Amino acid sequence: MIPDTFDYSAPVTLTEAIELLSSGAKALAGGQSLIPLMKLRLASPQHLVDLSRIPELSGIREENGVLHIGAMTTHYEIESSMLLRSACPLLPQTAGRIGDVQIRNMGTIGGSIAHADPASDYPAALLALDATVRIAGAGGFRTVSYEDLLVDSFLVALEPGEVIVDIMAPVDPPNTGTCYVKAPQAASGFAIVGVAVRAVKSDGVVSSARVGVTGLAAKPFRARSVEQALGGTRGTDADITRAAALVGDGVDANSDLHASADYRKHLAEVYLRRALRAALI
Amino acid sequence: MIIEGTRSVALEPQRLYTLLQDPDTLARCIPGCESLVKEGDQEYRLKMKLVIASVNGLFDGKVRIADPSPHESFRLIVEGSGRAGFVKGDGVIRLTSDNGAGTNVHYKGEVHVGGTIAAVGQRLLDMTAKMVIKRFFDKVSEEAVAKASGT
Amino acid sequence: MATTTTKSPALLVGQSLRRREDPRLITGTATYVDDVKMPGMHHACILRSPHAAARIRGIRTSRALEMPGVVAVFTGEDVAHLGPVPCGAALPGLRVPAHTVLARDRVYYVGHPVAVVVATDRYLAADALDAIEVDWEPLPAVADPEKALEPGSPAVHPEWPDNIAFTYKQEGGDVDKAFAEADVVVRQRLVNQRLIPVAMETRGVVAEWKPGDRQLTLYTSTQIPHLVRTLVAGMLKMPENRLRVVAPEVGGGFGSKLNVYAEEALMAFVAMKIGKPVKWIESRRENFVATIHGRGHVDYYEVAAKRDGTILGIKLKLIQDIGAYHQLLTPAIPTLSILMMPGLYKCKNVRADLIGVFTNCTPTDAYRGAGRPEATYGIERMVDILAAELQMDPAEIRFKNFVGSGEFPYQTATGLSYDSGDYAAPLRKALETVSYKTLREEQRKAREAGRLIGIGISTYGEICALGPSASLPCGGWESATVKIEPGGQVTVLTGISPHGQGEETTFAQIVADELGVSIDDVVVLHGDTSLVQYGIGTFGSRNTAIGGTALYFALQDLKEKLKKFGAMLLESDDVVWNRGRCVCMKSGKEVTLPEIAAASYRAMKLPENTDPGLVATRFWEPPNFTFPFGAHIVVTEVDSETGAVQILRYVAVDDCGKIINPLLVRGQIHGGVVQALGQVFYEHAVYDENGQLVTGELTDYAVPKASYIPAIESYHTETPSPVNPLGVKGVGEAGTIGCTPAAVNSVVDALSHLGVRHIDMPLTPEKIWKVIQDRRTA
Repeated sequence: MIPDTFDYSAPVTLTEAIELLSSGAKALAGGQSLIPLMKLRLASPQHLVDLSRIPELSGIREENGVLHIGAMTTHYEIESSMLLRSACPLLPQTAGRIGDVQIRNMGTIGGSIAHADPASDYPAALLALDATVRIAGAGGFRTVSYEDLLVDSFLVALEPGEVIVDIMAPVDPPNTGTCYVKAPQAASGFAIVGVAVRAVKSDGVVSSARVGVTGLAAKPFRARSVEQALGGTRGTDADITRAAALVGDGVDANSDLHASADYRKHLAEVYLRRALRAALI
Repeated sequence: MIIEGTRSVALEPQRLYTLLQDPDTLARCIPGCESLVKEGDQEYRLKMKLVIASVNGLFDGKVRIADPSPHESFRLIVEGSGRAGFVKGDGVIRLTSDNGAGTNVHYKGEVHVGGTIAAVGQRLLDMTAKMVIKRFFDKVSEEAVAKASGT
Repeated sequence: MATTTTKSPALLVGQSLRRREDPRLITGTATYVDDVKMPGMHHACILRSPHAAARIRGIRTSRALEMPGVVAVFTGEDVAHLGPVPCGAALPGLRVPAHTVLARDRVYYVGHPVAVVVATDRYLAADALDAIEVDWEPLPAVADPEKALEPGSPAVHPEWPDNIAFTYKQEGGDVDKAFAEADVVVRQRLVNQRLIPVAMETRGVVAEWKPGDRQLTLYTSTQIPHLVRTLVAGMLKMPENRLRVVAPEVGGGFGSKLNVYAEEALMAFVAMKIGKPVKWIESRRENFVATIHGRGHVDYYEVAAKRDGTILGIKLKLIQDIGAYHQLLTPAIPTLSILMMPGLYKCKNVRADLIGVFTNCTPTDAYRGAGRPEATYGIERMVDILAAELQMDPAEIRFKNFVGSGEFPYQTATGLSYDSGDYAAPLRKALETVSYKTLREEQRKAREAGRLIGIGISTYGEICALGPSASLPCGGWESATVKIEPGGQVTVLTGISPHGQGEETTFAQIVADELGVSIDDVVVLHGDTSLVQYGIGTFGSRNTAIGGTALYFALQDLKEKLKKFGAMLLESDDVVWNRGRCVCMKSGKEVTLPEIAAASYRAMKLPENTDPGLVATRFWEPPNFTFPFGAHIVVTEVDSETGAVQILRYVAVDDCGKIINPLLVRGQIHGGVVQALGQVFYEHAVYDENGQLVTGELTDYAVPKASYIPAIESYHTETPSPVNPLGVKGVGEAGTIGCTPAAVNSVVDALSHLGVRHIDMPLTPEKIWKVIQDRRTA
């Protein structure tokens, strides 16, 4: 439980951080995954760059109907943000289900999505929200969709020296229903399965449905077959049941000490039904 | 942990079998392989570096091919250890023609892990094993395509 | 006698005082082992086996020794002269493997200590661990106790290929006759899974050797400082009076620190070898493999009964997973289960066959309840299974079989003498509290509506106040010294070693009442062998019943002496002790305790045949155990789609004899129930087939969190024990004992109409979901 020796820097500007990270240093955000790995000596970065003092990485704001959430915003800040609770309640709801109070006080959204744990909670919500991510690097800024950022379990499309600056999600239009439900693993709180739904109804018909699923597969994914099955329906219980049954089709489900692949698939369907009911009915 | 699966590779069984016995090919295909050195008949010393999240797992071990049944099947025994723990795998790889120009590769084996990865990494074992196998066969497929088009 | 008839309402015994210990614990000003810092202190880290079984072909330490800050590396050869890690329990034919402080040529479980690195800094010591090169030859291992008994299974200790550590039989009455006469026999295999105690503070040791004084001091996180002194002195072959053992603040033990561990002798050895103080603090990873585990039973029960529900006989085949070694009490723990086999019931015919089995796992030993939760789980599950078989109400079958309130002392088939009780009373109270009849009606309606509601009952008995000396491998008595200081304040030195039980509060309540002093003038000290007379320590819910009784008698001695001084000062023979004053019955004149204290130490004048000072010490040997009891009712709802269980109601009615402090009793019940709910729903130390502990950290081993726990309604009946003058019985383990069967009975009850008869703990959602799936497809 004692890490290897490492150097530590806490730059106050983004440029400085990018410079340090370009030379092979490892970014430290909230430390809720990295520090335990270091204490187990499974990770032994030689140089840590603490991002907590860089002003551009914090804060939640709305600009022209788009919400910007700084990468270093903690889960607690997201959970308790009045702006997000009214403009995009799916994110606070998801953040509030992460780990426990201590983790939510320390952990950050940027750190979480950069680590890309396939059982973390945010991916489901960010996929359902069609979120985008702004990234800073030596060459300036670029913006990618969250779905494209996510490559595989624990793998995101970040180049060495790149830093996630903020996460962007649209303000919910009227008649949007959202819901995140999860089966937490009792020990760690990670999602055995987590399902996020964002559905918009107009004139009593589902005009858009987005479903993000985490924990079920090696990579969190958007359940497009479910979305298509729901689109254009009236979102009745029967529509929901029919659509939710598709969530595990063709998915190579995870299996571990805590849940078998079959149970995970079953849970995904049950939870998706519940999330859809909450969002649509 | 039991690992089992089937992959199709676009190369006929005879040639694929030869390809999979070739240490240079294996060195290119094994994810994170840093070196693969022949140590004896059908026995190699393997150094590999597995990077998952912030974890940098360096493994030093042995790969042994046993019970070869040319163009049909062979047994693969892998043993490695590193700071993160140790891994032992033993499995049979079976090649059958897909009745075209390709091969169905069926693999089945058992993987045992010990040390820190066994104690704290249970959540990730299954998906890591799948990932390693997938990357391996992805590379093998690439090599196979190159081989097939090269003739 | 006048003193006891004039008690004023300000008495503290029976009042819910807040713990006097808590301010220092809450504000971070308490001193745990890791807070002990000494000039020149070095730090040790221990290299442990990653293999469950392996030969050590060689160890090279040279690279580690060259690392910065490293002053020494010791291996098994260096400590070969130290005595073995002791097993205190004796059973006929017990096989005791040589348990050396560090492994020598072979390791037997993951976590087995192999070498110790000593460095100037803990980080440097940890770095150097990686530089020790061990040439391992892994060997086949076995982790499942039933597999270990199969022929051809790997031998944990090569000298005993059958892996049997011991066998033990106990029989009472005529079991064969009982089974022959039975109308019905129910049988069930019950698994009481291996658990990890997970005390909030891991273990730790600081050892300091003063060569000039030839004195060794060991600060260690233990429940039994005096026994550690005796046994570690033995391992070190050192006179006991050269060793001082201090248990500073201890952050939880639950039995896991009722032990003597290799690291205690090892750190003593290191301190003497390097001539500097040395500290070792167990990491959580180490704690999971290097500190004992609990439970680990496979039980095969058979219960014979008449058609009217009368239990005639009980048979039990108990397979105890020992692990690789016997720790201090390992073999004794399952024998406690056997003693409690009949529970609260009148069954006089019992037979138990116990097999202790070696496995390549961490040793098991006492964990909160230590054998009694397993026994209660067994009988209480079986009674429910029997009730289901006979289509009887589970409450009714219990009432039918209880030992009657007029039958005490009651001799059990296992040789115990239950002291006192009214077993029906807590069950009646619990049933009334939940409105049982209405609840059953609601359950029926809910079932019709497709909801799965369960009602689970357990009525438990336990053996507390361990125990009469003849029943334990060490003494079973306890000691207390009470000193009234010259200024009139009172200092208590108790031989018990509280670590969360709150005796700094409850003992002060007893002192305040007996002597009539303010509780603020009472200090209760413990846990330092140089300060406190020999004591046995804290385990088996014995603190108040035995330690409190020793204190009570020391206080009576002191009151006699106070009266002698009072009589002398009042120049009267007719005096009484009344709440802090000695009063002359004739003149009405009085002297206060501080006045007497001053006079006794000043000693200008002494009563006849009386020494100066006011100090009394008593050692008290209990004539029997005490037998608390109670009833728990758990109402659950199972989510039929996911298998998740929600506890709708938890009602506990416990009778722990006379209550000194109701708040602390409730605290013990809450804590015990929470730990038991951990076993019921979450916790399981899982080993894979190669002996790797795959729940090796808190990320995979789930202890219950506050948010998982329902409101626990705690009620009491109060039946005094005749065993001690305080009438107390003990409550430290009751929650873990009463809860597991009530909770499992509840979930099984929720599914009973589907034909479900039993599910083994932990009741994970997936397991329950699968059971529901299986029943629905069946």
